[in-house]
Amino acid sequence: MSAHAHADSGHGAGHNPFEQHIHPPPTSFFYKYIWSTDHKVIAKQFMWAGLVFLLFGGLLAMMIRWQWAFPGTKVPVLGIFLRRSGGIVTPANYQSIFTMHGLIMIFFAITPLLIGMFGNFCIPLMIGARDMAFPFLNALSFWTFVVSLVLIVTSFFVQLGTAGAGWTTYAPLSTNVGTPGLGQTLVVAAIFVTGAASIMGGINYITTVIRLRAPGMGWFKMPGTVWGLWLTSILNVLFIPVLGAAAILLILDRTAGTQFFIAGAAGVQGGGDPLLYQHLFWIFGHPEVYILILPAWGILVDLVSFFSRKPAYFYKGSVYAMIAVTVLSAIVYGHHMFVTGMNPMLGKTFMLFTLIISVPAEVLFLNWLHTIWKGSIRLTTPMLFALGTIFVFGLGGLTGIFLGTVSTDLYLHDTMFVVGHFHLTMAAAAFLAIFGGIYFWFPKMFGRMMDEKLGKIHFWGSVVFITLVFCGQMLAGYSGQQRRLYDPFQYTYIKHLRSLNWWTSMFAFMLLGFQVPFILNFFKSLIAGETATQNPWQVGTLEWTHASSPPVHHNFDVIPTVYRGPHEYAHPDAQRLLGKDWIGQAEELPSEPHGAAAGGGAADAVAGPVRE
Amino acid sequence: MRTNPKKWLLALIALALGTLFPGMALAAGPIPQETSYGLPRDVSADGHRIDWLIKVTLIFVTILFVIMVIWMLLAVFKHNHKHKAEYDHGDSRHAIMVGMILSAVIFFVVDGNLWVNATRDLSQAFWNFPKAEKHPEAVRIELNAHQWAWDARYAGPDLEFNTADDIVVLNDLVIPIDRPVIVQLVSTDVIHSFSLPNFRVKMDATPGMTNRFWFMASGKRAKPGDVVEIGCTQHCGTNHYKMRGTLKLLDWEAFQLWSKEASASSKATYDEKSPTRNWGWKWKRFPNEPDWYKQQVDAKKRSAALSSPTSGTTAVATTERESN
Repeated sequence: MSAHAHADSGHGAGHNPFEQHIHPPPTSFFYKYIWSTDHKVIAKQFMWAGLVFLLFGGLLAMMIRWQWAFPGTKVPVLGIFLRRSGGIVTPANYQSIFTMHGLIMIFFAITPLLIGMFGNFCIPLMIGARDMAFPFLNALSFWTFVVSLVLIVTSFFVQLGTAGAGWTTYAPLSTNVGTPGLGQTLVVAAIFVTGAASIMGGINYITTVIRLRAPGMGWFKMPGTVWGLWLTSILNVLFIPVLGAAAILLILDRTAGTQFFIAGAAGVQGGGDPLLYQHLFWIFGHPEVYILILPAWGILVDLVSFFSRKPAYFYKGSVYAMIAVTVLSAIVYGHHMFVTGMNPMLGKTFMLFTLIISVPAEVLFLNWLHTIWKGSIRLTTPMLFALGTIFVFGLGGLTGIFLGTVSTDLYLHDTMFVVGHFHLTMAAAAFLAIFGGIYFWFPKMFGRMMDEKLGKIHFWGSVVFITLVFCGQMLAGYSGQQRRLYDPFQYTYIKHLRSLNWWTSMFAFMLLGFQVPFILNFFKSLIAGETATQNPWQVGTLEWTHASSPPVHHNFDVIPTVYRGPHEYAHPDAQRLLGKDWIGQAEELPSEPHGAAAGGGAADAVAGPVRE
Repeated sequence: MRTNPKKWLLALIALALGTLFPGMALAAGPIPQETSYGLPRDVSADGHRIDWLIKVTLIFVTILFVIMVIWMLLAVFKHNHKHKAEYDHGDSRHAIMVGMILSAVIFFVVDGNLWVNATRDLSQAFWNFPKAEKHPEAVRIELNAHQWAWDARYAGPDLEFNTADDIVVLNDLVIPIDRPVIVQLVSTDVIHSFSLPNFRVKMDATPGMTNRFWFMASGKRAKPGDVVEIGCTQHCGTNHYKMRGTLKLLDWEAFQLWSKEASASSKATYDEKSPTRNWGWKWKRFPNEPDWYKQQVDAKKRSAALSSPTSGTTAVATTERESN
């Protein structure tokens, strides 16, 4: 396919407001792979960065788990990174390790994978656009993100080491009062820079979804994935600036001698206010947890419907629920601060808002469960991961209400229960959804199928051990174990949790081990995977029905016209007229049955079109 | 549980040392190890409210989770690829109504129960400061958290904070059973959080502000001489994990005896120039609340003045100087 041949349709599009300009694909290596403005290439760039840092963050987690299973003993293999202490995790190493584990996983693994990768890859392809609204800004977003990665990596090599004030970076511990040294400053700067990258991405996604939808692609005809990513972008653009403000003030406190967050000693009201930092952080921080789950919810809405071969149940309800969560996420942040000495009235109000979030969450769950009910479920790897996400998110969501309630939070606050809870939602659910998405879109991204057998091994190992690890943590917290303890067994009342911690660590090591099939599968499929057809899953969204695998540089030769929503499965007219169980979003329904309809043909469809 | 002879030996040694040096027994009473998973031992008057709410909610969410898993398993096995999918968008009036009613029922039962009980528990117990402050025998403690220890201060016999006869202890606190204990806490460096797992409460100590909370040991759940642990639950630097303290529970008479001795020994080592001895503050009155402590102190001083006229004049003089 030569872009030149299709350029006509692009240039001659003056009369069609939906037609977009076709740019010729770049030819030089630099513009093709480094400074690329192609959303598909940028998606892959985010993917590589995210996967590398996911491994990095995961290895840091293993060091924490080693310390809790065998406190103060030499860390095998990873000990080489702790040369100065002879391979042992020291209290100073330990605080850096858990701080960087959190920051890396949130800002440099989940964010690039869930938002950077899926946002870039899926949004233009799913709404029928040739690229993002601002391709240059898109490239700038990625390379700004790379700057923050450089800052993060550099922070490990400076004197006094990297940050150690926890991922929340609470002042005054994060000021020079508690964490002197260049490392902490570099990390706060990295957060600021990565925030700037996220805002650029967010502006781009929002505009693209509003402006570049294909003709006929109404709001409720957009796939759930796009909805999730769009709402996430709105939260990003609204709340990351607040984090940016906090980061700048903190950097000033660290380097310019200001006292925004530094207060005088012992009841003396002087200087700044440490609580101000917490307010700024959580005004951003609570929306952030929804930033990291909304795209996953969107992906779930789609995958669950696609592989149940059944329309998404009450799709509008799911979308409204996601919108409701987006709005509510902005007014619940106070539940992170129930034990800071908050005004009781404020505490009770935040508790009420927090509990109200369970209503849209229930709607979403009921819709997912109704979607798979009476479906024709195909247990492909992406579907298994989608079901696994519902499972772990169910656990994580249900345990959240204990923490949203002031009185129960008085006991559970800052225990391992919190750690287990937010890992189930932000880590387990987000990563299982990410893996589900990777297995699902890999054929479109690289034109090759992933191995289903290795994928299923990866799924079962991951879902079993991720559940065990985080339930182990919740049980430890329920029994009273505080979080962030270098050696928890200093305390007599949790000494008996030593074996629980040991087992939890073993499960964590197994969880890491079960990522090996994924790595093997990924590279094996990339190099020698079975060639993917245009629509291997037999689904109706535009990236599968109208773009090749992988798509050409300009995605669509002709921008498709959309007639219906993304979840038309088991449609009686489709069975009758097309001889298959689905209709594409931009597929015209013939008035009479004929065999050779778009997307593969009747024989193919009757035999059970979806891969298993 | 297998018995640990070493533990018994240690307990015996501690007991022997304790008989020889009474001060040491207060500092290092043997703390029984928990034996099973689950909420740690409750020694408080109000912790059972939290335990009940946690357990009831745990039952609710377990039921919901089990229903969800059974639903998913049934769907996966019954409605597999051999089953013909139903064409249903789930957007009929009936379907939406059913969904709304289900969500509402779950919300009002599970979250409603949490909301009602938590609000009630807060206003009756955990955030009910008048209840504690009005108690004539409430014990007040000022707490100064710093990396990585807890400095605590009791007012001593003169009932004034930050004076020579204040009881000053480090990490190892003593409280009476069945009397409310009100803590006002601050921090000198970074944020710490004073946590009492056996009372189910905690409160942040933040530089620049004075926080407060109260709790009460219950004679029904604890016996005199019991010791429980104090933990720090807010990451406060490298030795966060070592910021451990103990809390010894005594009956009222033993506590008063301890107060007298501890005050005398604190006074003997008092140094007015030492900043580590003078970090206290006048007991803080919170906005929109009467100054209960002052009222109690005044009442006590008035009754003391009636019984002994000479000491009474000085006491009244102190009070007057303060109010100016």
